[in-house]
Amino acid sequence: MQIQMNDFLFSMILTELEDAVGVENCSTRQIDKVTHSVDYYWLSRMWADRGRRMPEADIVVCPKDAKEVSKVVKIANYYKLPVTTWGAGGGTQGGAIPVCGGIILDTKRMNQIYEVNTEGMYIECGTGAIYKHIEWAANEVGKATMHYPSSLTCSTVGGFLAHRGIGVCSTKYGKIDDMVLQMEVVLPNGDIIYTSPAPKHAAGPDLNQIFIGSEGTLGIITKAQIRIFDQPEERRFRGFLFQDMTGAFKASRELLQKFKPSVMRLYDEAETSSLIKKIVGVERKGAFMNIAIEGCKEMVEVEEKILLDTFAKYGAEDLGSEYGEKWWEEKITFFYPGHMMDIPQMFGTMDTIAPYGKIEEIYWAMKEAIETNFPQAKFIAHFSHWYEWGAMVYDRFIVEGKDVPQDPVEALRLHQAIWTCGVRAALAHGGVVNDHHGVGIKLGRLMKEQYGPAMQVFEGLKKQLDPNGIMNPFKLGL
Amino acid sequence: MNLSEKSKQHVDSCRFCWMCHHICPIGNATGQERNTARARALGISLVNRGAIDLAEIMDNIYECGGCSACVHDCTTGWDPVMFTKETRLQAALEGKLPEYIGKMVDNCLEFGNAYGKTELCEKLTDAIAKHSAKTDTLLYLGVDARYMACKQAVKAIEVLEKAGIDFTVLADEAPSGAQLDFLIGAADEAKQQMTAAAAVMDDYKTVVIYDPTDAKVIKQLYKTYGIDVKANAVTYTAFLADLVKNGQLKGANSGKTVVYQDPFQLARNLEETEEARQVISAFADLHEMLLNRGETVWAGNILMAQYMPEVIKKVSERRLFNVKSIGEKAIVTACVSEYVALKNVAQDDVEVLSIEDLILG
Repeated sequence: MQIQMNDFLFSMILTELEDAVGVENCSTRQIDKVTHSVDYYWLSRMWADRGRRMPEADIVVCPKDAKEVSKVVKIANYYKLPVTTWGAGGGTQGGAIPVCGGIILDTKRMNQIYEVNTEGMYIECGTGAIYKHIEWAANEVGKATMHYPSSLTCSTVGGFLAHRGIGVCSTKYGKIDDMVLQMEVVLPNGDIIYTSPAPKHAAGPDLNQIFIGSEGTLGIITKAQIRIFDQPEERRFRGFLFQDMTGAFKASRELLQKFKPSVMRLYDEAETSSLIKKIVGVERKGAFMNIAIEGCKEMVEVEEKILLDTFAKYGAEDLGSEYGEKWWEEKITFFYPGHMMDIPQMFGTMDTIAPYGKIEEIYWAMKEAIETNFPQAKFIAHFSHWYEWGAMVYDRFIVEGKDVPQDPVEALRLHQAIWTCGVRAALAHGGVVNDHHGVGIKLGRLMKEQYGPAMQVFEGLKKQLDPNGIMNPFKLGL
Repeated sequence: MNLSEKSKQHVDSCRFCWMCHHICPIGNATGQERNTARARALGISLVNRGAIDLAEIMDNIYECGGCSACVHDCTTGWDPVMFTKETRLQAALEGKLPEYIGKMVDNCLEFGNAYGKTELCEKLTDAIAKHSAKTDTLLYLGVDARYMACKQAVKAIEVLEKAGIDFTVLADEAPSGAQLDFLIGAADEAKQQMTAAAAVMDDYKTVVIYDPTDAKVIKQLYKTYGIDVKANAVTYTAFLADLVKNGQLKGANSGKTVVYQDPFQLARNLEETEEARQVISAFADLHEMLLNRGETVWAGNILMAQYMPEVIKKVSERRLFNVKSIGEKAIVTACVSEYVALKNVAQDDVEVLSIEDLILG
């Protein structure tokens, strides 16, 4: 039940929150509410671009640790106020937008780096730390996090955990859900819990994996132990050109049965002839693939030979190391304004994942679905995270110029329709709602379509942990 | 709000870009989402679209230190400092400056400094008096050193005395316009101060600029505004580096291990990073922090501490944390304003030194 808010009660609640986190860390200023209302989600950006105000929180609170978070959620539960957790706002799925108002809980004051442990090879930090900052902390002792998404500088540790993020070196080092040892979590009732002291065990289901990807709907992750690695002795790049993607899939599948490169990126012809041509300088027809191998020098020597032999079998043209090195230098440049799609374009990334045998089929199905139903949309894709059993496709649609409705509601309708069409095509061919950007408000409606009766597991957890439904309402389809 | 088309373009590029989210020393210190380039751009863009009022964002516009970390970080060349300064100018023209800023602007116009100070400390007055005679070389101290850090100003004079330099210091120094430029951007009043200061400097062959804040404005901004300085304007650190190189400033390495705090004005705006290192290395063993040279992290200043002292303390504390996290125990600054900010928060575990402290021992 939502309480009926009035000025008097609002002021009373505000004083309670100020008591919990300090007056200076509790804001009703317009600038704070506005900046927490627009994240990286295209619809929120479009709304602001059209001069509209997105839904805003009533109060922005910035707790410094789990104890203060606990106080905030207890207050919120008592008054049945929505609590939306905000890291740095770099999410693409609208997961951090306070669609129901209430409280925005910004985690960035929880940015402490508590320990850099070079024996256990982890950094213990507050989840409000920007990931680049823990990379710096690792670098100071000669280590590295090896988690390098394009949003490395834009996002907090908690943000990556909340939506199960991934970095460009994932094939060797894993996703964010592989990077965590232990976490501190504040439950919606205010209890502070710790997941298992070690991530691999037989002491029941994995508590880490219940909260990772839960997008603030089941609790708030306040502290995490994040793995660090030795800097590789050697990192080598190799660019290849495949005549078609089928050969690339076969070559990559075979390669991954032998060893794991760090970076593996295959671009379809459309993306090779656009983004790759513009930023990396490959001016050839075909599907460009970039591979990085790293680790001990002796191992890299051996792995490079295996790579060249394997890819040659499938007709890949070896382009040498130059393009790969350029790609590595520019791996984040792709996402700066001027290179990245931006308003007034309409766009979206409908990443999904499936085993070999299905993933290429999904690519063609999504391409056909989008291009047939929305001829005004351009479709480009690359395959950037690979496993022994399958790969993910990072496919994007782009609508430009007059094809983008100026009326914000019409633009919203078109955006929703394209997304629904694309994701349903992925689901119909054995894919998932999303690979590594999360669900948020954008894709919540499609969760039941993927999970069917399995959705009751999530719903049961939600009902038990958050009976008042205050935690990030309408996200994840919960 | 009447922003230039160039600024509007930069605002619209930055408002939905998160790439420099990690770099703002103020944002990192406060943890506040509004202390980011994208938040500032979003606020300005919403003002431009009539969705919020300019007055609502002005406090936030003055929470930017102008250190250019975001500009330096941007691979596509967008400039949040530019549109932030232009917004300040527009607010001044529209009479929407926050009261505390308006007071400092008034002080700049009436007293030549934002602090409203009129008297120098006795020691500095005496030190300046010894160098009142006209020479070819002017040591330009700047308002922060003269009014807020007079001991350091005296030491700056003593270092040049130690090197046997014949130089002049003015008892009544014309403000460089740097403070007005920070407060209200390219306003006519700021340009008038700059023109007046340049005219005074033209009486000398060489002007040695002690404060990097002034150096940035005099060596870079004056040119942008078409204000010609005929004298050879050099930074204090570059001047000292020459003195060390030609043997006029002799030092013995004390064996003390230090790190160097690159002032952003030197490292990013003037691309001067090695001169101070040459000087420091003559007197101590220089180690490096992870974020150095063009990547330097601003450590606070005196001007912003007037209206947001707690935030500036946090900014300074974070920079000292960088020193401690690599096991170092001493940091040398070349910017008087950063020296004061760091000194203000330093505990026993890190020693804060100016280059003058290091040289004079």
